[in-house]
Amino acid sequence: MIDNLSMLLKVYLTAIPLIVLIGVYCIVVTHNLIRVLIGVEILTKAVTLLLIIAGYVTNNTAFAQSLIITLIVVEAVVVATAAGVILNVFKNNNSLHVRNIKHLRG
Amino acid sequence: MASSLILIPLIAVIIFNLPIMASHKRLPLLFGVVFSLWQAWLALFSAGSLWGNPVFPLPLLSGMHLQVTHLTLVMYLAIAIAAGSALVICWYTLEDGNKRFDVINLILLAIAGMNGVVSVTDLFTLYVFIEVVSIASFILIALHKDGDALEGSMKYILMSAIATLMMLSAIALFMMTTGSTAFGEIAHALRTQPDSLLRGTAVGLFLGGVFIKSGSVPFHGWLPDAYASAPAGVSVLLAGIVTKTTGIYTLIRLVTAVFGFSAHLQTLLLAIGALSIVVGALAALTQTDIKRMLAYSSISQMGYIVIGLGTGTTIGVAGAVFHLLNHAIFKTQLFANAAAVEEQTGTRNMDALGGLAEKMPVTGITSIIGFLSMAGVPPLSGFWSKLIIIIALWLSGYRWYALIAVAASVLTLAYMLSLQRRVFFGKLAAGFENLKEAELGIVLPAVILAAISIIAGIAFPFVLHRLILPIAAGW
Repeated sequence: MIDNLSMLLKVYLTAIPLIVLIGVYCIVVTHNLIRVLIGVEILTKAVTLLLIIAGYVTNNTAFAQSLIITLIVVEAVVVATAAGVILNVFKNNNSLHVRNIKHLRG
Repeated sequence: MASSLILIPLIAVIIFNLPIMASHKRLPLLFGVVFSLWQAWLALFSAGSLWGNPVFPLPLLSGMHLQVTHLTLVMYLAIAIAAGSALVICWYTLEDGNKRFDVINLILLAIAGMNGVVSVTDLFTLYVFIEVVSIASFILIALHKDGDALEGSMKYILMSAIATLMMLSAIALFMMTTGSTAFGEIAHALRTQPDSLLRGTAVGLFLGGVFIKSGSVPFHGWLPDAYASAPAGVSVLLAGIVTKTTGIYTLIRLVTAVFGFSAHLQTLLLAIGALSIVVGALAALTQTDIKRMLAYSSISQMGYIVIGLGTGTTIGVAGAVFHLLNHAIFKTQLFANAAAVEEQTGTRNMDALGGLAEKMPVTGITSIIGFLSMAGVPPLSGFWSKLIIIIALWLSGYRWYALIAVAASVLTLAYMLSLQRRVFFGKLAAGFENLKEAELGIVLPAVILAAISIIAGIAFPFVLHRLILPIAAGW
């Protein structure tokens, strides 16, 4: 199935690790909760691309599309919830630094 | 029929939130309790043929392919028991009427999601339902919006996001190599086609995601924070059933029905199981917060389930599922006791407590029953499941792991005795002279759950033949 890679597919397959790298970099480097969330979202985009390719190589694009639309809806809800929590962290501490969620230990 | 267990709570939540229902704030609680009882009854006494009938012939769900196995029935029972208790405890531990209403609605959503998780036969649908349960839990943990609650919730959100990403990548890789996301087709492809790097990566990624979701060591960092900082009733739900459904059940179901056992997988499961048992128990010994100790003990008990699954034998899997059910019973009950203590004394710090059994006799006695069941003392139900797991380990030649499991039982006894001594036994701590037993709504679930522990232990042959052995025969 995966032998006859087209040019387009090769572009996609190089893009995915790059996007993953960007997402991981974004999460590791920052101390800002919103940026951590953005990093997670970038990673999700990489996975979405992977699903698109999976649909493409198996000649099943319609199925992949329906999965991706569902995925986008679910992700939107998760991001809304996470943003709500971050908003309340900001209200409590007046800062978005990750140290605000590093009190509990042991 | 299975779809009605998902749809009824979902539709009920929508109806309760209509403007015309605004004056009926108690209705959701009543509905939730009746629904849980109905679900438990269905799981215990329904005929197998019932589940094939489409009671809700909605086009919406025609493509969802639900399947009710014997494992699913055990999970329905565990969900009904734990979520039903959590509903009642949440109602009586929260003061604010609006918060009560929100919590009950969110728990109903979580019930719908969990019933979905245990019934689906497709990886992507599984992901959607896991997210439904997780999102309800995020909001429930952060309910009080204080620093700790937000921290616990945020940690859970981030770890859960990573787990989700791993699962989704695995789903994409499975789609790429097998052309489908259905359990049956993936299992068939895994068995017939030769191993490939992509497929190995997919299995590894999915297992990693599930281990994070279940809070197994070394992926357990978020779990004590989330459990301990959640409101009392919510930690009952989380510890009793949520992580068990999204994590452990998913693991059992996928390993038995999709991935199949292999030598590598068994080694991994046994290692993670043993690590969880020991690390969880040792960490529990050092805690001073009653809910944190119970959270670590959850990690430890989870290890028993994983190690039972790791034997790869029918008896091991049966023991693992039985322990999952028992864990839902006794851990729900112990967290209910913790909720009663926190509600009455206003603290969870065990060093500040002591001698409460004198003032709170019902909580004290049920707590002893719960801890004896968890430590595996006959004839309580926890004894039987641990015995089955240890026998399975011994019979399949993993004698060192069997020894670890037995030795860790002693550790279980040690930290639970320390909890009992510091909270319930001894001299009454200063300042609690006017302490009273908690409200009936908090005490009653604990009493019922303790009774279930005793009855399931004594009526062990019934439980074994009705619920557990069909699973072992079926997969």
